[in-house]
Amino acid sequence: MKIVVTVKLVPDPNSEKKIDPNTKRLVRTGVETVLNPYDEYALEAALQLKERAGGDATVTVFTMGPEALKETLRKALAMGADEAVMLADAALEGSDVSATSYAMAQALKKTGFDLLIVGGLTDDGSTGAVPGALAEYLGVPCITNARKAEVTGGALQVERETDSGYQTVRGPLPALLTTALTFGEPRYASLKGIMGAKKKPIAILTLSDLGLDRPVGTDGSKTQLVNFAPPPVRGKGKTIEVADATAGAHAIFDFLKEKKLV
Amino acid sequence: MNNVLVYAEHRGGQTRKVTFEMATEARRIADALGGKALALVVGAGSAQLAEQLKNYPLDTIYVNDDADVDKFLLDPVVDYVEAAAKAAGPSLILIPNTLAGRDVAGRLVARLGAGIGADVTDFHIENGVVTCVSPKMGGALITTCALKNADYAIATIRPNAFSVAPSATGAQVQPIEKPAGKTYSAVIESDVDEESSGEMALEEAAVVVAGGRGLGGPEPFDTLLKPLAHALGGAVGASRAAADAGWVSYSLQIGQTGKTVTPSLYVAVGISGAIQHKVGMRASGTIVAINKDGAAPIAEFSDLMVVGDAFSIVPELTKLVESAKKEAVS
Ligand SMILES: Cc1cc2nc3c(=O)[nH]c(=O)nc-3n(C[C@H](O)[C@H](O)[C@H](O)COP(=O)(O)OP(=O)(O)OC[C@H]3O[C@@H](n4cnc5c(N)ncnc54)[C@H](O)[C@@H]3O)c2cc1C
Ligand SMILES: Nc1ncnc2c1ncn2[C@@H]1O[C@H](COP(=O)(O)O)[C@@H](O)[C@H]1O
Repeated sequence: MKIVVTVKLVPDPNSEKKIDPNTKRLVRTGVETVLNPYDEYALEAALQLKERAGGDATVTVFTMGPEALKETLRKALAMGADEAVMLADAALEGSDVSATSYAMAQALKKTGFDLLIVGGLTDDGSTGAVPGALAEYLGVPCITNARKAEVTGGALQVERETDSGYQTVRGPLPALLTTALTFGEPRYASLKGIMGAKKKPIAILTLSDLGLDRPVGTDGSKTQLVNFAPPPVRGKGKTIEVADATAGAHAIFDFLKEKKLV
Repeated sequence: MNNVLVYAEHRGGQTRKVTFEMATEARRIADALGGKALALVVGAGSAQLAEQLKNYPLDTIYVNDDADVDKFLLDPVVDYVEAAAKAAGPSLILIPNTLAGRDVAGRLVARLGAGIGADVTDFHIENGVVTCVSPKMGGALITTCALKNADYAIATIRPNAFSVAPSATGAQVQPIEKPAGKTYSAVIESDVDEESSGEMALEEAAVVVAGGRGLGGPEPFDTLLKPLAHALGGAVGASRAAADAGWVSYSLQIGQTGKTVTPSLYVAVGISGAIQHKVGMRASGTIVAINKDGAAPIAEFSDLMVVGDAFSIVPELTKLVESAKKEAVS
C-alpha cells in the first residue's frame, strides 16, 4: 500500500504575525519555516496506518512550494516517512486554491497512491478547500476529519468528526482522507530517525514534468488579493487582583453593568 | 456571474442561523449585481426548511428530499449544488464555513472551475466585481480578495458575521431533479448527534462562557459554567485542553481547530489564552477572564481580567446576575 501525505511548509504559527507598515507585507524574516501543524497529524496518521498494514506499505510526503524550503522536509522524513516529493516551479508562485489544487493533483497522479492523506487546514492560507478540490481533480472519494481509520479488504473504514457529533463512513481505495487532530499527537523524531533522514531521497518535480493543460500561478488563479491590513487593535484591558471571591464577583458584575451587558 | 445561490445546510430540516444570514445577504449581492437570489435545500426535512426560507427575500428555492443525501458522504450534495448552479446560471455560491461546508466548497472549486473566497465576513461590490473580506492567519490579517470575472465563484461564509432580516417577497419553491448517472462512493454507516438539544448553538450565542483546563474536570462545566451561562442568556464553550481531556464534547471547542465565536460577551474561565484559542474568540465584543495566574496570556487581550479562583468567584457572580435579572422583572 502506497500512502502519500501532503505537507505544506509554512511560517512558524507560534510566531506573532506582523505586517511591515511600509511594504504592507507579512514580515517573514526571522520566522522559521515549519511543517503545517495539521499536516503533522496527517503524517502521524499515515505512519500509524503504515505500521498496522506492515509488509510493503510506504509513506511518501508531498509538498508544493519553493525549492529553497526543501530541507524542512527532513523533519517529516525523520518522523518516519520513507521518501519525499516536491513540486517546485517559479511559475507556481501566486497560485490560489484553484491553481494549487489543480497543479498538486497533476503531480499526485504522477506519484500515484492508494491512500492520500491531507491535512485539514493550512495555518497560513486556511481555506480548508484544497482537500475537496484535490479529490475532485483526482476523481477519488473524499473522507474528511477522520479521528480513526482502518484499511480492510481494499476499503477504508473511518470514524469522522462532524459539526454536531461523529459518523462512521466506508469507502473504496484509492481515496483521499483528511485527519482531525484527535487522530493522535504527532510523534517526535528519534535520534536514529534524524540520522536516517539525511539519506532519504527528496525528488523534485517541475511543471515541465506534468504537462498541464491550463495556466497556474497568478495567471491561472481565479482570485486576486487586493489588500491586506491588520485588524483593529484590541488594547490590553484592566487586570485586577482581588481580595476575595466576593470582591472578584462584584468587580466583574459592575464592569458588565457599566458595559450594559447585564 | 450575477446570480447568488445559497446552499442551505441542515439536519432533518433543522438549520443554523448562518443559513438565514446567507439568505439575507444573497439578496443584497444579487441586487447589486442585477441578478436573482436563489437557495438550494436537499435531503430529509427539505420541505420544512424551504417553508422557513420563504420568509426571506429569495426568488427561487430549489428543493429535493432525496434520501441519498443523508446516506452518502456529500457526493449527492455536491451534485445537487452543481445542478442548481447550472439551473440558476452564472452565480456566486454561498456556503457556510462549517466542516461540511468547507468540503462542499472545495469540491465545487474543481467541479465548476471556480475561484473561492474563504471565511468571508463581508462583501463589497463595485462595477460588477465582488470582493471578499476575510480574516486570515488567525485574524492577524484582514484580507480583501477579488473574485475574477468568471461564470461561477464560491464563498464560504463565517457564521455570525452577517445580519438576518426576514422579508417575504414571494419566493417560489421549485423541485430540482436528481442529477442523473451519478455514482456515490463513501457510505455513511452511522451518524451520531452529540449536540444536546435545548442548548443554544455556540456560534449563535450572544454570550459565551467558556471553560478550560483550570476547571479540573467535567463537573464544573455543569455546576459552575452552565448556571452562569443561563443567567447571562448564553451558551457554554471550552478550550481544546478541556475537550481533549474528555470533559466536554468537541462540538464545544473554540479556537483554530474548533469553532469561531463572536458573541457580545465572552467569559473565559480557567483558560490561559493560547494563540490557537485566541483566534477562535478574539473578535468577541467584550472579553472577561477569570484566572488564578495574573500573567496568563489571556490578560493581554481581555477587557477585564480578574485574578482569582474560578470555583469561588463564578457562583457569586451567577447569584449577582440572577438577582439583577429578578429585579429587572419585578
Ligand atoms: C495545531 C493546534 C491546534 C490547536 N487548536 C486549539 C483550539 O482550537 N482551541 C484551543 O482552545 N486550543 C487549541 N490548541 C491548544 C492550545 O495550544 C492550548 O494548549 C489550549 O488552548 C490550552 O487550554 P487551556 O487554556 O484550557 O489550558 P491551560 O493552558 O493549561 O490553561 C489553564 C488555565 O487555567 C488557570 N487556572 C487553573 N486553576 C484555576 C482556577 N481554580 N481558577 C481560575 N483559573 C485557574 C491557569 O492559571 C491557566 O492559565 C491547539 C494546539 C495545536 C498545536
Ligand atoms: N502547497 C501545498 N503543498 C502541500 N500540501 C498542501 C499545499 N497547500 C495545501 N496543502 C494541503 O491541503 C490542506 C488544506 O489546505 P487549505 O485548503 O489551504 O487550508 C493542508 O493541510 C495540506 O495538507
